[in-house]
Amino acid sequence: MTLQSDTLLHEDYPEAVEAYFENGYTDGLPIIPPTPEAVESMLAAAHLAGPEVLGEVPTRNVTVTAEKAAVNAVMAGCKSEYFPVVAAAVRALLQPLANCHSTTATLAGSAHALIVNGPVRERIGVVSGQACMGPGFRTNATIGRALRLVIRNVCRTVPTELDRATFSWPLRYSFCFGENEEYSDWTPNHVLQGYSPEDSAVTIMSVMRLLAAIEMAPESEVILEMISETARLYGLSVDSFVGDARGIVVIIGMEHQRRLLDDGWTKEAVREWLFERMTRPTIGRYDLKVNLAEPSRILVIAAGGPGIAESRVIMPHLAAPTHEQVR
Amino acid sequence: MPLITLDPTNGPLGSDAASFEMAGRPLTLAGHTLGIIANGLGQSEVMFDALADQLSKWDDLAGSVKVVKPSVAVAPWPAQWAEITEHATVAVTGFGGCGSCSTRSMRDALDLEAAGIPAVCLVHTALVPAVRALCSLMGAPDYPFVIVDYPYNPTGNWTVDECNALATQVLDGVRLRLTASGADQ
Repeated sequence: MTLQSDTLLHEDYPEAVEAYFENGYTDGLPIIPPTPEAVESMLAAAHLAGPEVLGEVPTRNVTVTAEKAAVNAVMAGCKSEYFPVVAAAVRALLQPLANCHSTTATLAGSAHALIVNGPVRERIGVVSGQACMGPGFRTNATIGRALRLVIRNVCRTVPTELDRATFSWPLRYSFCFGENEEYSDWTPNHVLQGYSPEDSAVTIMSVMRLLAAIEMAPESEVILEMISETARLYGLSVDSFVGDARGIVVIIGMEHQRRLLDDGWTKEAVREWLFERMTRPTIGRYDLKVNLAEPSRILVIAAGGPGIAESRVIMPHLAAPTHEQVR
Repeated sequence: MPLITLDPTNGPLGSDAASFEMAGRPLTLAGHTLGIIANGLGQSEVMFDALADQLSKWDDLAGSVKVVKPSVAVAPWPAQWAEITEHATVAVTGFGGCGSCSTRSMRDALDLEAAGIPAVCLVHTALVPAVRALCSLMGAPDYPFVIVDYPYNPTGNWTVDECNALATQVLDGVRLRLTASGADQ
């Protein structure tokens, strides 16, 4: 395989790590030096040729090739077998409705949630249960980090330069988790998006806000009311570019899901109920309409472990959730 | 032990950019049609309207045509682009007051230049590093623009009086950037 990237020569491994800091190639954490052999291994695992284009950021005249994504995946600490998920995530991020330029350069500093569905989760160990949104799991941490390094290094989103985030936030280091498809018979997210259960797929969702909806009451309707009220704290405005594709993600925690399952709620029923409540007219400063076109624009995801009765709501930046099959 | 690694970027900013040339400038704005590609940020549309009024009054513009993009940091719809490029002979873009909209508005200006329409982007001082980076990416590192400073806040949250005052303040800069007298300054 012939790689196209410029090469850098280092005295030894530690010097290479330092050089990547000095060249401005990292997120502030040390990287794994991307040797040609490691990059080739990544590409082989995904059956991708280096020059294959994964997508573009038209405003910046940026093209992202599989090779550049693989270089950054090595740097992030990914195993080769993770790379098909990274490549799918990059493709999803570079779909027009993911609005990559807007969501990565904005003052608001939005992050991206990378949600993994399908058999690949078990194959490579994507965590969807306890603590799935936090540190401690190489798969989640490095896949999410690989996407961020692509955004930084290939898409040119360098903080204080093209990235103008006023505060930025920790989710921009890495934010990847799986859906817990095994806990119940709820239809997995990717199946609701048109993929088969045997497929694996990723969802990319811009994250303007990650909101906790904590409700200890046992009644399903009270739980759903809290989720709706949480989303309505900020509401969702219409954006002509995103149009009817705008959506939100509701991550149902295990304790809430257990109550809902006991009462016979399906995912489809949950989103129908939430849609009716969330889209009611605005009635106050902290009770704002969530402008969604239809119930299917509420992506209901099951994740998290046992413990507190909490769900989470992701409100987007100026982008729609996008999906891509893991090939 | 020596180690060979790979560059994770696409090279230095602008290393793969096509050559850039500014559109030819008229001597004056008299008789020209001003195109406005507005991004709808805050109250900036009010400022652009005031700017068009002032240029009509003082520079004898033939008229103006304005489009407001579907979102702050995206390209105009194709129909909007066609409307501008069919009718405008000079143009302004902006307001470059947020992270992604500033760079997108600069890209709009550069695209207008490539289409042969002299353009200028209005950019808040807080976003100058971003638009400089975008200009470098596009092979136009020295492309001039008009900078708006405080007390005008970056995101266009201005009163109508402030919009009018800002339009007056940027008038000379816009005139300078759109005409032959100032294009090389």
